Amino acid sequence: MAAAGAIGARKTYGEGDTAVQALDGITVNFERARFTAIMGPSGSGKSTLMHCLAGLDQLSEGRVFVGDTFLDSLSDSQLTELRRDQIGFVFQSYNLIPTLSAAENITLPMDLAGRKPDKEWVDRIVDTVHLSDRLSHRPSELSGGQQQRVAIARALASQPEIVFADEPTGNLDSRSGSEILQFMRGAVDNLGQTIVMVTHDPGAAAYAHRVVFLADGKIVHELSNPTADVVLDTMKYLGD
Amino acid sequence: MIRVTIRSLLAHKWRLVTTSIAIVLAIAFLSGTQILGGILDDSIRGLIGNVYSGYDSVVRSPDVQEAAFGEFRAPISAEAVVDSSGVEGARLAYGVVESANIQLIGKDGKVTGGGIGPPTLVMNWIDDPMRPGTLADGRGPTANDEIAIDFKGAEEQGWELGESIEIATQEGAEQYTIVGFVGLGDEANKTAGAQPVFFTDEVARSTAKLGDQYNYVAVSAKDGVSQDELASQLAEANPDLQVLTGEAFTEENQDAVAQFVGILTSVVSIFGFIALVVSTFIIYNTFSIIVAQRTRETALLRAIGARRRQVILSTLVEALIVGLVASVVGLVLGALLASALVTLLSSFFSLETGIPSIGASVIVNSLLVGLVVTTLSAIIPAIRSSRIPPIAALSEVSLDKSGMSWSRRVWGLVFLFAGIALTALGLTSTLKPELYYVGAGLLAILISVAVVLGPLLARPAAMTIAWPFGNRRGNVTAVLASENAARNPRRTAATAAALTVGVTLVSVIAVLATSVKSSVDDEIQGAFGGVDLIVSAGNFSFLGIPSEVSDSADEIDGVDIVSPVGFTFMRILDESLESESDTGAEEPAEDDVPVIGIPDDAPSGEDVVSNAIDPDTYFRIVDMGDLQGDPETLGSESLIARQSVAEDNGWDIGDTIPVYFAATGTQNLTLGLTYTDALGPGDDFYLPLETMRPNSLPGFDIDFADYIKLDNDADRDAVVAELDALVADRPDVTVQDREEFIESQTEFIDVFVNIVYALLALAVIIALIGIANTLSLSVMERTKEFGLLRAVGMSRGQLRRTIRLEAVIVAVFGTVLGIVIGIAFAAALSSALAAGEPGLVTFKLPWTQLAVIVVLAAFAGVVAAIIPARRAANMDVLAAIATD
Repeated sequence: MAAAGAIGARKTYGEGDTAVQALDGITVNFERARFTAIMGPSGSGKSTLMHCLAGLDQLSEGRVFVGDTFLDSLSDSQLTELRRDQIGFVFQSYNLIPTLSAAENITLPMDLAGRKPDKEWVDRIVDTVHLSDRLSHRPSELSGGQQQRVAIARALASQPEIVFADEPTGNLDSRSGSEILQFMRGAVDNLGQTIVMVTHDPGAAAYAHRVVFLADGKIVHELSNPTADVVLDTMKYLGD
Repeated sequence: MIRVTIRSLLAHKWRLVTTSIAIVLAIAFLSGTQILGGILDDSIRGLIGNVYSGYDSVVRSPDVQEAAFGEFRAPISAEAVVDSSGVEGARLAYGVVESANIQLIGKDGKVTGGGIGPPTLVMNWIDDPMRPGTLADGRGPTANDEIAIDFKGAEEQGWELGESIEIATQEGAEQYTIVGFVGLGDEANKTAGAQPVFFTDEVARSTAKLGDQYNYVAVSAKDGVSQDELASQLAEANPDLQVLTGEAFTEENQDAVAQFVGILTSVVSIFGFIALVVSTFIIYNTFSIIVAQRTRETALLRAIGARRRQVILSTLVEALIVGLVASVVGLVLGALLASALVTLLSSFFSLETGIPSIGASVIVNSLLVGLVVTTLSAIIPAIRSSRIPPIAALSEVSLDKSGMSWSRRVWGLVFLFAGIALTALGLTSTLKPELYYVGAGLLAILISVAVVLGPLLARPAAMTIAWPFGNRRGNVTAVLASENAARNPRRTAATAAALTVGVTLVSVIAVLATSVKSSVDDEIQGAFGGVDLIVSAGNFSFLGIPSEVSDSADEIDGVDIVSPVGFTFMRILDESLESESDTGAEEPAEDDVPVIGIPDDAPSGEDVVSNAIDPDTYFRIVDMGDLQGDPETLGSESLIARQSVAEDNGWDIGDTIPVYFAATGTQNLTLGLTYTDALGPGDDFYLPLETMRPNSLPGFDIDFADYIKLDNDADRDAVVAELDALVADRPDVTVQDREEFIESQTEFIDVFVNIVYALLALAVIIALIGIANTLSLSVMERTKEFGLLRAVGMSRGQLRRTIRLEAVIVAVFGTVLGIVIGIAFAAALSSALAAGEPGLVTFKLPWTQLAVIVVLAAFAGVVAAIIPARRAANMDVLAAIATD
C-alpha cells in the first residue's frame, strides 16, 4: 500500500525550443512506513518531483496521489488543506516562523486548521527529538540542529500521511545532520511514519530504506537498504 | 554609482509610485491652495477695481471703528455733496449710500443666500457711469417702489424685469418692482458676490436710516483733472473730512478682501504642511526599509570598492529623484485642483477660469519643498546604509533589526521634554506667537513618540490590540499578526506615528469642540434660566428685529417679561485702560492708505463690541452672577463692565470712563454696574439701550433680539404662534425656545469642526497610504516566511487575514496614541483657556466620537491592507520557498 506516488509524471518548463523536461515520465510509489531517499545530480528533477508530490507544483502530464487522493482533481484551497492535514514538510533552510516559539511552530499546521493538537502525541514527538526544555524559545535562540528538530517535530506532529524533506541536513554540521537523520529513521521505524527525502549526500541517503536515483527527469536506478559506500559507488557509476 | 541608483529605481517602479504618493498629495494640496489664493486675489482685486472705477476721489468721515468683521465709519452730512460738487475739478459729486441692512426675500419665502452669504447692500441710484456697476438690462429706479438689482442674484431666483419682489428691512417687509439689472465689467456680465440693490436716493437713505446723511461722497473729476488735484481741492472744501483718491480708496477695499483671502490661504496651507510632516514620516520609513532590504546589495558594492560617501549619495540621489518627480506631479495636480475649485466658486462670483497661470514663486516653492522634505527624510536611512560593513554581503540576509540604543532613548526623551516644555510655554502665553510654540512642541512630542515611545509601546500594544481576535488563545493568524507588528517596533512606530499626527489633531478638535459646546450649553442653561423664548434674526444679521415687536409681544397673553437686546461698537480709550490684555479686542489697524485732510481721528484705545440691554427687564431674567451697583441707577450715560475687567483697570462703581463712538465721539460714561458672569468670553461690556441708541451709527440702533419670559401658567404654543404672527413678514426672524437657541449658538462649532476634519482627511489618507506602503515592503521582505506558511497549510484567506490584522493593529496603535496625545493637548489647551477666561471651556471628553474614530481607524487599516494582502496571498509558493 503506497502513501504517495506518481504515475507517468511529466513536467515541462518553457515552450518550443527552450522547453526543458524536468520530469520525463516518472512512475513511482512510496510505501507506507518506509524512509525513501531521492537522489540525483542538480537538475535531475528530484526537487520538482517532490514539489509536485506535495501539491506545491503542478504536473504537465500524468498524475500524483497522496493517500487515496489524486492531486490533479483538487482546487487550490483543497491542496492547501491537503498540505496542512496530510503532508509534513522539512526544508533545508528557513523552516520556522521566526516570530513563533518552538511550541507554536510545532503545532502551527493544526492551529491553522483550527484543530486541537493531540497532546500525548505531540509530547511524545517533542520527547523523541529532545526539545522539551526548548519549547518556549524563539527560532533565533536555537542552534541550526535544534531548529531542524523543531521542523521535524512540526512535520510529524499532525500525523501526516507522508513527510517530505528537502535536503534537511544541507545546512547542518555533520554531527547535527546525523542526529536529524537518526530521528527521521526512528520516526519511520518506531512511529510508522512515511518519509520521502531529497538529498545529494550519500551519507544521508544511507539512513533510508530505499534510494531512488533520478537523472534528466527519469528514474535511472534504485537501491534497497543502502550503505553510504554503495550509494557513492552507484552515483559514480551513474555519473559516468 | 548613479547608474546603480537609477536602475534600482526603475526596477521598483511601483515602490517609486507609492513612495511618491504621499509627497504628491501634500504638494498638490499646498500648491493648489497657493494657486487658488492667487486666482482669488487677482479676481477679487479686478472686481473691486471695477466696482469703484468711476470714483476719482472719496470724501468721508474720519470717525471710524474696527470690528472683527469690518470697519464701521460715521456717515457725513449731505452738505458735503454740495461742497464737493462745487470744487473746480469736480464733474459730479455722488452722495453714496452703502449699507448692509436689508435682505431679499426669494420665491421660496426665505431670505436669499440663507442670510449668511455675501452681504445684500442698500445703494442709491445715480444716473451716471461713475456709479458702481453697469446696467445690463432695463433702467435705473425712478419711482420710490422701483429697484435695480444684481443680474446674477436675479438669475438665481428667476426674477425678471417688471417682477415685484419683497424686501425685508428693519421695519418689516416691503414690495418693490425690479426695473433694471446691473453687473460689473464693460459688458455688465460679472458679479462680485455681493448683492447690491439700487433704490432711489430717498428710499435708500431712509432704509439705511441715514436721514439727510450719506455714507460717503464719491467725486468724478473733470477731464484733464488728476485724482490728486481733485483730492486736494476737495480737502480744502471739506476741512473737517477725510479725502482719498479713487485709487487709494479702491486699494483700501482690495486690501481688506485680499487680507481675508490671504488669511484663508495661510490657514488652509497649515493643513498642507501637516500633510507634509506626515509624508516625512512615510518617506523616512520607506527609505529605512529599502536600505535594510538592500543590505547585501550595499555590502557587495562596498566590498567591490564603493566608498561610504558614494553609498550615501546613491540613496540621496534616489530620494532626490523621488522628490522631484513627486513635486512636479503634485504641482500639476495642484493646478488641476485649483481650476476645479475655481469652476466651483464661479457660481458665486466671477473668477478668471480656464487654465490657471502658475506663478514662478509657486513653482519654486513646490519644487523646493518637495525636494528638501524628501531628501531630508532620507538622510538618516542613507547614513545608516553607509554603515553596512562589506562583510554583510557574505552573511545571511539580515533584515531591519531594530533595537533601542541608549542614544535613541536619550534623544527621544530630550524631544519629549522639549516638546512638553515648548507646548507649556506656548500655552501659558508668555511667548508669542503662541501657536508656533504649540505647533513645534506638538511636532517634538510626535517625533519622540515615533522614535522612543512608539517602539517601546509597539509590542504591548500589538499584543493588546490583537487580544480580542484570539491572540495567544490558539488563533494563529492573530498571533502571527501581532508578532509581525511587534517584530520591527521602530518600523511599526514610524508607520503608526504618521497616523498619530492626524489623529492627534482630530482628537484635539473633537475634545475642544465638545468642551466648548458643553460649556456654552451650561452657560446658557444657567444664565438663561429665566428666558423661555428668544426672538432673533440670527447671529450674523444687521437687520435685527422690528422695534415694535417688543411692545407688541408684551401685550400677548401669557408673556411675563420682554427684554430687547442690541449691540454697538465702541472704543475704550487707552487713558482709562491700565492693562491691555483683558478686553480681548483688536487694536485698531494702522491705516497705511494715503489720506488727505483729516486722518482717522479718534483717540486710541481698544475697539469692542458691546451688548446693549434694558436694565429694567434684563437682570430679572438673565443671571449675570454677582452684581455690584444698582441697575435702577443706569441711564443714558452708563457703562456696565465685567468685574474682572473693572478690577484690572482700577475702575470703581461711579467712576467716569471716557468711551469713544464713531457716531458721536468721546462720551463720558459712568460705571454703574459690574457682573461676574456673561454668556460669551468677549462679553466684557454692556450698555443700557438708553445709552446705546443715541450713540449708534445709523442703521445699528436695532433690537438684535427679544428675550421673553412666560407666565408660569402660559400656553407656550399659543404664545409662540402669536409671536410668529408678529414677525410673519420677516422670514429671517425666528422664535426659538432655549434648546433651539443653544443649538443655533453652537451650530457654527459643528460647521467649523467639519471643515477642519475635511482638511485633516488629507493627512490621514497619506498616513494610510504609508501603512499600505510599509506593509507592502514588509510582505516582500517576508516572502520566504509566507511561502513556508502556505506550504505547511495556511490558506490564502488566512494569510490575507493575518496581514489585514497586522494593518489594523498598526492603525489602531497609531490612532490610540493620537487620541491619548490629543486628549492631553486638549486638556492643556482648555486649562490654559480656562485660566484666562473662567467658564470658557469645561473639559469634556466625547467618548462616542473617540470610539468611532478608533473603529474607523481599524476599518481604514483593513482598507490599507487590501493591496499588500492580495499580493501576499497571490504569491507563488514554490518561488517563495525555493532555496537559492
